[in-house]
Amino acid sequence: MTMKILKLLSVAFLLWQVPEAKALAPKDSAATYYEVENIPLPDGLIAETGAIGFMPDGRFVACFHRGEVMMYSPKTKKWKRFAEGLHDPLGVLVVNNHEILVMQRPELTRITDTDGDGEADDYQTVTDDFGLSGNYHEFAFGPIADKQGNLYISLNLASNGAGIRPEIRGKYDSLSRPGRMYSCVPYRGWVMKLGKDGKLKPFAVGFRSPNGLGFDAEGKLYVSDNQGDWLGTSKLFHVEEGKFYGHPAGLIWKEDFPRVVPISLPVAKLDSMRTKESIQFPHGYFANSPTQPVLDNTGGKFGPFSGQMLIGDMDHKYVIRLLMEEVDGAMQGACVPLSFGAKMRIGNNRLVFAPDGSLWVGQNDHGWAGARGIQRISWKGQTLLDVMAMNLTPKGFDLTFTLPVDKETALELANYKFRRFYYEYHQAYGSKQFDVQDVAVKSVVLSPDGKKVSLELAEMKPGYVYELKAGDITSENGNKSLINRLLCYSLNRLKK
Amino acid sequence: MIFKVSALCCPKINSYLPGILKQSLKVFLICAVTIFFLSNQTAFAQRDTTITLKVLGGLQFELPRFAVRPNTKVTVILDNHDDMAHNVVFTKPNSRLKVVDEALKLGDKGAKMDYVPNSPLILAHTKILEPGRTESISFLIENEGIYPYVCTYPGHGYVMYGAMYATTKALPPLEKDLNVPEGQRLGTPNMANHSGHHMAPASPHPYPLEYPLLYRTFMPDCGPAAIAVALNPNESYCFDAGKCYLRYAWSGGFVDNTDHWKGNGNKLAKIVGSVYWKDETGFPFKAGKNQKIPTVHFKGYHLTKRLPAFRYMLDEISVSETVKLSAKGNGIIREFTFKNNPDVLFFTTGNPAGIKFTFSAGKYKNGVLEIPAGTARLTITSTRI
Repeated sequence: MTMKILKLLSVAFLLWQVPEAKALAPKDSAATYYEVENIPLPDGLIAETGAIGFMPDGRFVACFHRGEVMMYSPKTKKWKRFAEGLHDPLGVLVVNNHEILVMQRPELTRITDTDGDGEADDYQTVTDDFGLSGNYHEFAFGPIADKQGNLYISLNLASNGAGIRPEIRGKYDSLSRPGRMYSCVPYRGWVMKLGKDGKLKPFAVGFRSPNGLGFDAEGKLYVSDNQGDWLGTSKLFHVEEGKFYGHPAGLIWKEDFPRVVPISLPVAKLDSMRTKESIQFPHGYFANSPTQPVLDNTGGKFGPFSGQMLIGDMDHKYVIRLLMEEVDGAMQGACVPLSFGAKMRIGNNRLVFAPDGSLWVGQNDHGWAGARGIQRISWKGQTLLDVMAMNLTPKGFDLTFTLPVDKETALELANYKFRRFYYEYHQAYGSKQFDVQDVAVKSVVLSPDGKKVSLELAEMKPGYVYELKAGDITSENGNKSLINRLLCYSLNRLKK
Repeated sequence: MIFKVSALCCPKINSYLPGILKQSLKVFLICAVTIFFLSNQTAFAQRDTTITLKVLGGLQFELPRFAVRPNTKVTVILDNHDDMAHNVVFTKPNSRLKVVDEALKLGDKGAKMDYVPNSPLILAHTKILEPGRTESISFLIENEGIYPYVCTYPGHGYVMYGAMYATTKALPPLEKDLNVPEGQRLGTPNMANHSGHHMAPASPHPYPLEYPLLYRTFMPDCGPAAIAVALNPNESYCFDAGKCYLRYAWSGGFVDNTDHWKGNGNKLAKIVGSVYWKDETGFPFKAGKNQKIPTVHFKGYHLTKRLPAFRYMLDEISVSETVKLSAKGNGIIREFTFKNNPDVLFFTTGNPAGIKFTFSAGKYKNGVLEIPAGTARLTITSTRI
């Protein structure tokens, strides 16, 4: 104990003497804990990655913008064509070593190598029972399968940045054409469920550009959506059957919906109809376009976050970790960056865990901001200091860390800077942050095991994003620093 | 250098301009640039120029570069046609990336500041414009130089930029101009469509092209679920996978997907070659004696040595259709198989000019083939005459 104090004193003395010493000391960094590797790509590939997965035999499968489906053997490091000629494939679900399901613009397709030569020869239309106006923005995503074997896909709205084609597929309805994004053929703006009977049914409505579907550990369905009209910022929704999630255009295909232009309804009316998101990703500095949510099901092979979900973003060199909890009967929670160091690229459109527990990321730009290529991120085995959970309490938040924290830095009030704001639900594109206010932390208590701090805040107001900028909190022995320090909690409901 | 910057908000200025005026603005611009090339003078009286900088989808300015003479009062109208919010920031020479980095460092303050840092490197800028909005800014450019312009919205700055040349000299060739983003610099490498050349097109994929070759893509004169097939490098057809019938065939090449693949996929694929036959009669099948138009469902396709056989349903009838090249290469053979067809079927060919039809089964009269109930196989050969 005395030795420790002496050690600390001598370090303090050194810092006091040489102000630069602090900057020179090796800083704990993400690269200490994670390794980022670029997967070599075959010549001639434009690696705008639309979908990735793993075959049961360990081969990595990737779909690209120009319609290629390529297989990569991590053992031999060789690429081989599996299928080709697809129309903007943006989702894949592996069935077995010879068969995959791919979501492409016009349909969900079962692609099979029936003769065992390693290349697909059969392309079966699983469902094309949804409309296509030919508008470029009508991307299609998924599929993912629930435990019962039902499949879920999501269908983008069209953009009035371009028109529709002279020939379309599906019933035309002009009712939602006014507005930035529209749904002029069924079921644009919907998440769809494909039952085992092969029938595609509308499941939930109110999406704009739902570029990512995933299940959490309990089988809850989550869908991401992108900032734009009716989305003040990008969001993640917990999606349940029959609910409306905010973008009105797709409502015209709801059976009991009256024949009115959806955006002509009062905003307050639409607001009362909608189910709120579980997580808001503050636009610009936190995320611009969140992508695919995936469950860390590695059982600890990727670090301490097993059982939590990660999601990519198109504009940031990190993935985002989702700290979700049920409060007052609804899912809500926080998002926090998970950094892997400088080698990580942006454009992280698709994520999948490999059998060895490494995270593979497929990058895309697709005419927007992003990058191209595939990266593999593996955990080096040491536990980083990070916020494992952020839980709402009646008066504030409990932060649970991955490791016991240093008492002094953890109890320093200045190490928890909170502000809160809200994004407005409205028709205009995006929203500024309204009613931005700092929120004082009144007290901080550290648990006996040193892993949990309980923060009491001056005010807890539902309907706001509570943004925490944590300071330089270190681990118990002082050799690890908190690396990912920005946490944004969507406080929809108070803890009762 | 003095920069007089005045900004005023003009919602939808451009939409008030009649098309002809916009066109003449463009022509004026081209003429203006041309005149500068021809001139060798170095001193000018100050002049005014107005440039409309339209934002297209896919993070690009329509003009990747433009030229003005030194000592010009430049008015730039930013016209945002994209789905996303954008601004434009004009910087001092060689300062684009520095300004983009400064803008990124604004962090959560960025939005309030229109993602424009307080930087001496910036000459002029617009606000962040929502989709559909326009804004006009004016500033004086005195000295020769290459002045970058860029959208500093987070994530856009590395892709979405261009260069304003203040010069009286000719501009470098576009394809060698590193001040222009790569996509716009290299333009459309229209690999297959050089008329008169019959080179094998370079493969746009990580493998050599093999034939038959199939793409699902956006095709002209077809529904949005279209399939283009090249039977060989010169003979191709388009099958409508929504309406389930052969739409047209062409000779002289396949498709060029370059524009379609660029960015968000809005553009159609281009047909390389010329269409020699197009179905003008609409969906060809009718079912039963009362000639009902059947409901169709596309079911997919199977490849045999890369050649697709399409599967679809006509009500309860299973159909497969394979399109092949005729032995002489002067026509196509459509091979059909039918299952569960207890009633008569009718197939309309119409009477297209320059095409002769022959059939392996059925009675053909006035451009309509009557296919007997229970027919398992049918071949329709269309020959160019």
